[in-house]
Amino acid sequence: MSPRPLPLVQGTLDLLVLHTLLSAPMHGYGIATRVHERTDGDLAIEDAALYQALHRLDRNGLVEAEWRPSENNRRARYYTLTPAGRKRLREEAANWRRYARAVEAVLQGG
Amino acid sequence: MRRKDHPHRPFWYLGRGPDRVRSDVDEELDVHLEMRVEELTSRGLSVEAARREALRRFGDLEGTRQYCRRQGQEKEKSMQRGLIFQDLKQDIQVCLRDLWRVPMLMLTIVGTVGLGIGATTAIFSAVNAALLRPLPYEDPARLVRIYTDAPPHKFRFSVADHLALQEQQTSFQQIAGYTERAMAFSDGEVAERLTGRVVSWTYFELLGIRPAIGRHFTELDGRPGGPPAVIVSHGFWQQRLGARADVIGRPIRLDGSDYAIAGVLPRLVGPLEQGQEFFVAAQWDTPPRRGPFFITVIGRLRNRSEESAAASDLRAINRRLFPVWQASYQDDKASWGMMDLKAHVIGDVGTIAGVALSAVGLVWLIACANASSLMIARVTSRRRELAVRAALGASRGRVVRYLLAESGLLAMGATVVGVLLAWVGIGLLRDFGAGYLPRTQEITLEGPVLWLLAALTAASGLLFGLIPAVNGTGGPVDQSLRSLGRSSTGSIAVRRLRRVLVGSQFAVATPLLVVAALLISTLNELRQVDLGFESGSLLTGAILLPAKQYQEPGPVKAFWDELQRRVEALPGVSGVAFADGRPPAGVGNFNNFDLEEFPTPPGQSPPVTPWVAVTPEYFRLLGLTLLQGRLFDERDGLEAPPVVVVDRAWARRFFPNQGAVGKRLREGGCTDCPWTTVVGVVSDVKYAGLDKPDEGSVYWPMAERGLSHPIDQATARFRYLVLRTSADPGTVLPAVRQVVRDLDPSLPFHNVATMEELVAQQLRMPRSLSLLVGGLAVVALILSIVGIYGVMAYYVQQHSKEISIRAALGGSPVDVLRLILGQGMKVVVSGVVVGSLTALALTRLMSTLLFGIGAADAFTFVGSAVFLLAVALAACLVPARRAIGVEPASILRNE
Repeated sequence: MSPRPLPLVQGTLDLLVLHTLLSAPMHGYGIATRVHERTDGDLAIEDAALYQALHRLDRNGLVEAEWRPSENNRRARYYTLTPAGRKRLREEAANWRRYARAVEAVLQGG
Repeated sequence: MRRKDHPHRPFWYLGRGPDRVRSDVDEELDVHLEMRVEELTSRGLSVEAARREALRRFGDLEGTRQYCRRQGQEKEKSMQRGLIFQDLKQDIQVCLRDLWRVPMLMLTIVGTVGLGIGATTAIFSAVNAALLRPLPYEDPARLVRIYTDAPPHKFRFSVADHLALQEQQTSFQQIAGYTERAMAFSDGEVAERLTGRVVSWTYFELLGIRPAIGRHFTELDGRPGGPPAVIVSHGFWQQRLGARADVIGRPIRLDGSDYAIAGVLPRLVGPLEQGQEFFVAAQWDTPPRRGPFFITVIGRLRNRSEESAAASDLRAINRRLFPVWQASYQDDKASWGMMDLKAHVIGDVGTIAGVALSAVGLVWLIACANASSLMIARVTSRRRELAVRAALGASRGRVVRYLLAESGLLAMGATVVGVLLAWVGIGLLRDFGAGYLPRTQEITLEGPVLWLLAALTAASGLLFGLIPAVNGTGGPVDQSLRSLGRSSTGSIAVRRLRRVLVGSQFAVATPLLVVAALLISTLNELRQVDLGFESGSLLTGAILLPAKQYQEPGPVKAFWDELQRRVEALPGVSGVAFADGRPPAGVGNFNNFDLEEFPTPPGQSPPVTPWVAVTPEYFRLLGLTLLQGRLFDERDGLEAPPVVVVDRAWARRFFPNQGAVGKRLREGGCTDCPWTTVVGVVSDVKYAGLDKPDEGSVYWPMAERGLSHPIDQATARFRYLVLRTSADPGTVLPAVRQVVRDLDPSLPFHNVATMEELVAQQLRMPRSLSLLVGGLAVVALILSIVGIYGVMAYYVQQHSKEISIRAALGGSPVDVLRLILGQGMKVVVSGVVVGSLTALALTRLMSTLLFGIGAADAFTFVGSAVFLLAVALAACLVPARRAIGVEPASILRNE
C-alpha cells in the first residue's frame, strides 16, 4: 500500500487535465485513470473536482466536448484540446516549472 | 447523426437548449460511474460494493452536477451572443450564393422595388422641402401674409393700405411689404435686366434675415427723398461685384439711378428671396388715390395666440380706411384678412405634389406586392430544401430567419438602387423643379427624408419577406417532405395569398392608369386649345425704358417710333406692333370698370378683365378678325375721347342680346373720368393661360394716353415688341437686337421668345406631370402583368395533372381554357373593380389639374379597365395555351 495521497496544490488540476489531453481526445473517466496511473496514486484527485475542472475548461473554450463511441462502444463525452487550451497549457507548464525550481532552490539552500 | 458542439456548425444550427445541457451532464456522469463500477467489479468486488466505492471516490456528485450544468448553460448563452453575428455573416453568404443562382428574380425585385423607393424618396424630399418643413425664417410660426379679401380673390395692398396698416395696427410686432421689380443693371458696358424686389425697410428685420456683409435697412432708407439703398443677393455680389469685401457703401446703377449697397445677403436664402438679384429699399409716400394694388404685405404677430385679435384689428383698420378713399375705391364688401405665410409660399402646389407622391408611393407598393408574390413562389418551390433543413435540426424560427435575411438583402439592394435614383432625382428636381414647386433649392436627403427611406426599406423587406416566410414554412415537416413527390402542394392558403397580392397589384395599377389617362387627355385638350391667333413666325420681346433718361413724353415717343421704323425695315420682318401684354399668359394689367347701362350696385365688386394696350397694327399682325365696328386708327390720338376695342367674349358677357359697339364705360373705379366708348369687337385671344375660359378682354390704344398720370408713365415706358416674320424668327432676332443696341446701348431687350415657345412653356407643367404619372403607370402595368402571368403559370403547373386527366377523359380544350382563364380573370376583375372605385375617389381630389375632361370621365374609366382586362387576359392565355398544348400522357407518366 502506497503512502497516503497528497492533497492537490491549488490550480494544478487544470494543468494536469490539459496535459493529459495533449496526446489524444479522452473522456472524463479516461483522464482520471491516466492521471492516477502516472502519479502512482500519489495525488488525491476526486472525480468530482476533475469533472468540475473539465466543464470549467469547456466553458472557457480551452477544451471542446463531443459525444463519441468509446473503446467498448459506449456513448461517451470526449474532450479535445483547443488551440487556446494548447497555449494555456504551455504557459501554465512553464509557470509550474519556475515555481517548482524556486521552491527546490530554497530547499537545497538549506 | 453526429452532432458536434463546434463553432463550425451547419448554419441552421441554433445551439443547445437548457434541457439538452442538463441531459448531457447527467449522461456524462452516469457513464463515468458505470465505467468505474465495471472496473471495480472486474477486480472482484460485488456490484453493490463497487457502486458504493464508485460514489465514494467520486465525492460530491450533486454539487458537481449543478456546477457542470451551470458552466454549460453559461457557455451556451455566451456562444449564442457571439454567434448571432457569425450566423448573420453566414446567412448573408449563403443568401448571396442562392440569389446569384436566380439573377432574373433578383434583378426584378431589386430593380422594381428600388425604383419605387428611389422615386418615392425623391418626390417626398421635394414635398418635404416645399410643403412640410417650416419656413427658414426666425420663428416662422408667427409670420402671416396680409391681403385684401374679396372672395374668390385675394388682392394685394396699395401704398395707401400699407401705410395705413403700418400706422394704425397694434397686434403685429412688425409689418413689411414687397413687390416685384425688374430693373436694368448697367456696369457701364453691358446692360442686363434683372429681377429684384422693392421692399419696405422693415422687411429683413421682420423675417430675421441678417446680411452676410453690411447691414439691413433702417427707417432712414425708407424715408421718401432719402438716398436710395440696395441689398444685393450673394449671387449678384459674386458674379457682378467680384465678391469683394469692400462693396458696402459703393453705388450700383439700376434703371439709370445710383443705389448705395447697404448689404449682401447670405448664400442660402428663404423662398421669398429666391431668384431675386437685388432688394431696393422702398420709399413709399402718401399717394393721391387708394390704388394701384401691387404690394404683398407680410406681418409678424406679437403672439401666435393673438391671431383672432389681429384679424379683427385688420378688419377695423380697413373699415376706418374705407371712407377716406371712397372717391377712388367703392368695393365695401372687401375686407382685410390674413393667412399663414407658409400657406402663401406653398400656393396651390399641394394637389400636384399629392398626385406625384401618391403615384410613386403606389408604384412602390405594387413593386413590393410583386416581389412578395415572387418570393412566395420561390419559397413554395423550395419547400423540399427547407423541409430537409428543418429535418436536419433547423427550427422554424431558424428557417424564417434565413428567409428574412434573404429578403433583407434584397431590400438593401433595392435601397442602394433607390438611393442612387433618389440622388439623381433630387438633382433633377433642384434644377428643373423650380417651375413646379417652391423651395426646390432646399431639397436635401436628410432628416425626415432619411427616416422615410429607412421606413421604406424596412417595410419593403418585411412586405416581401415576412409574408412568404411565415406562409411558406408552416405545417409539420414530415408532411411537407412526404407531399413533395406529388405536385398538388402549395397550401391553399399560400395560393390564396398570392392571388390576393396579384389582385391588389391590379387594384393599385387601375387608379394609376386612370390618372395617367386623365392627365394625358388634359395635355391633349390643352394642345388643341384655340389660341385665337396664328402662333407661327411670331417673335416678341420686352423693353422697359429707364425713368431717369426717359422722363418726358417726347423722347419716349421718339424712341418707340424710331424702333418701329428701323425694325420694319429689317429684311424678313413683315409686320411690327407694340403691346403691353402678350398671349397666351402674359397679360400685364387687369382693370375694373363700370358700365354706363349696368352700373355696379353699391357693395358689389365691379367686373375685372384683362386690359391690353396695343398699337393699331397689333390686330392685323396676330390675325384677329374684326366682327363689329372698327379697329384703332389715327382718330384715336392723345387728345381724342377715349375708346376701346373689346373681344367677342367680352361682348357676349356684358351685352348678350345687343351689339357692344357704342356702349360706354368708366375705368378703374374712377367716377369723374370721361366715358370710354367701345368702338369695335374682335375675335377672342387667350391672355390668362390656356386652361382659362375666355372671360373677355379689352384693348385700348397705346398712343391714347400721355405721361401725366403715374400709372400711365409706367405703361408708356414698357412695351412688348411683337414681330411677324417671313423668315425663321431665329434668324431675324440678332438684327432686332442690334437695332435696339444701336438706339440705346444701355437698354436690355429681354423676355425674348417666339409665340410657339410661350405656348410650349404653358404646356411644360402638364406635360411633365403626365410624363411622370404615365411612366409610373407603365411600370405598374408591367408589374401587374408579370404578377398575373406568374400566378397563372404556377397554377397551370400545379394543375397539370388535373388538366391532363380532363383532357384524357375527353374534355375539350375550350373547357380547359375556360377553367384557367376563369381562375385568372376572377383575380384580375376583382382587382380592377376595387381599383376603379379607388380611382373614382382619388381623381376628384385632382380636378384642379384637369382641363377639358371630367374627373369621373366614363370613357377614361371604362377604357382603362377594359385595357387592363384585355392585357391581363393575354397574360393568362400564354400559360393556358401551354396547358392545352401538352400531351396528357406525358404528364400522367411523370406522376
